[in-house]
Amino acid sequence: MIELKGVTKLYQGQAVPAVQNLSLSINRGEICVFVGPSGCGKSTTLRMINRMIEPSSGTIEIDGKNIMSSDPDSLRMGIGYVIQQIGLLPHRTIAENIAIVPRLYKWPKEKIKSRVNELLEMMGLDPAETRNKYPSQLSGGQMQRVGVARAMAVDPSIMLMDEPFGAVDPVARNRLQDEFLRLQKEINKTIVFVTHDINEAIKMGDKIAILNQGQLIQFGTPEEILTDPANDFVENFIGYDRIVKKLNLYTVAEAMKTSFGLVDEAEFSGINAKIPNAEVIFVRDQGEQLVGYLTAEDLSAQGAQRLTQVARQKRLSFVKLNTPLPDALSLMLENDADYVAVLDGDRLCGAI
Amino acid sequence: MSWKFFSEALFQKAPHALLVHLLIVFVTVSLAIVISVPLGVLLTRRNYQRFGIVALNILNILQAVPGMAVLALALPLFGLGLKPAIIALLVQSLLPIVRNTIAGLLGVNNDVKEAASGMGMSARQILLEVELPLAMPIIISGIKTTTVYVVSVGTLASLIGAGGLGYLIMGGLALFRFEYLIVGAGLGALLSIFFDWALSYLEARITPPGIQVE
Repeated sequence: MIELKGVTKLYQGQAVPAVQNLSLSINRGEICVFVGPSGCGKSTTLRMINRMIEPSSGTIEIDGKNIMSSDPDSLRMGIGYVIQQIGLLPHRTIAENIAIVPRLYKWPKEKIKSRVNELLEMMGLDPAETRNKYPSQLSGGQMQRVGVARAMAVDPSIMLMDEPFGAVDPVARNRLQDEFLRLQKEINKTIVFVTHDINEAIKMGDKIAILNQGQLIQFGTPEEILTDPANDFVENFIGYDRIVKKLNLYTVAEAMKTSFGLVDEAEFSGINAKIPNAEVIFVRDQGEQLVGYLTAEDLSAQGAQRLTQVARQKRLSFVKLNTPLPDALSLMLENDADYVAVLDGDRLCGAI
Repeated sequence: MSWKFFSEALFQKAPHALLVHLLIVFVTVSLAIVISVPLGVLLTRRNYQRFGIVALNILNILQAVPGMAVLALALPLFGLGLKPAIIALLVQSLLPIVRNTIAGLLGVNNDVKEAASGMGMSARQILLEVELPLAMPIIISGIKTTTVYVVSVGTLASLIGAGGLGYLIMGGLALFRFEYLIVGAGLGALLSIFFDWALSYLEARITPPGIQVE
């Protein structure tokens, strides 16, 4: 747990503190995002946690221990650190770059080697191919992965990430974010994450701290901040589409209907086919493939014989349980569909 | 031109002169490296950075004095022989190395230093494992400038009795024996070219592979 108590940083020769009387606590295993316009003090705050910058007043505690009581170098060795510019050592191979902190801890060679391979695999990089390359031979996205791997080398419980995905293109950024969130589910680190992008904050954060001019304006979960912005600044900062943004917080699983009907095409041939009474009924063929769907309206308006045709005319599309809600909605608009089927693996489990 | 004098110069006088010349070059350049590189490092550390301009200006002034004048000044101060010659040459050998050391160290990308420090590397580790390796090609280039300079100005050292290739040149001039002159000057030129080539090769070899890739 990281606890900031009344932290202030006043740079020499400046009248206004870069960070002013900031107090907040970050729980274990949580991603806390500092977000705000440039110059709001978010990076300064982050860098005070590993003593790259010393606070002018106030205290910072990690697991109840004041960070000023430990030697800065050993404090930093125990905290993963990722910066936007990555800062890989250009004259060292990828393997050597990742091995920096393990080497500071004087791990045996074999242990370092296997850990490096493990981390490269975790990051989706082929160890045999990547190990002996130099940073300049990698793409931006690959370098950023190596930067994250390097920060996790000794499995620190805390990671500080300063705009880690800021320097890559939007497509790669999105993928890195997704990968990192998936990884975080396994590694469960306490992460302090700095960004100027509110959308990234909403996506990545368990908690979001909105800063402006060195002051903490609002601190809460993304949902709280989107639902109940503390003041005009926060509201403007989030943007006018905050209702739409809020949709991003939900996945298909949370919004779908679990009651639906499922019938075999063959059943329609009987005049009094048993048709389930549901808002939406999916239709499948003999091969158990879904071919279309029917709504309650169709049932009352059409004769049973024509139902198969009606069902087949409608374009059926599928989404996964963990698809973000806005993606499912745009799919519906694209296909002009009233419903989409939700799949859990291969199994039909709901409808939207 | 007579072959007799030429071969006398080349085979009897030159080997010893060349050895003395090489001795002057090696001792002077080694001392220059030992003094200049740490000085350059010191002048890029945060607490001493403000002395950088002053130090470079002093070295610049020393460098601006003609080499011959420095040697002449060394005579009343330190007397005759090898030692005063080396001291005089040394004074003028420092600037290129100090300047390049500073330029090389300041040229190291700040993000790399920031990341290294953020990972918990100590200032000493950052200097030895990050800054110096990355600055090394530029430092070597400064050493190359100094070496070529010492080889050429070293020929003047014979004026204060240090010997070396200058001894052949001065002797040739005094006795109107052009054979001596040609041997002395020619070997001096070859020596300069050799050091330039050897250090350029070293510079290329020492450039970290990750940098060459680009």
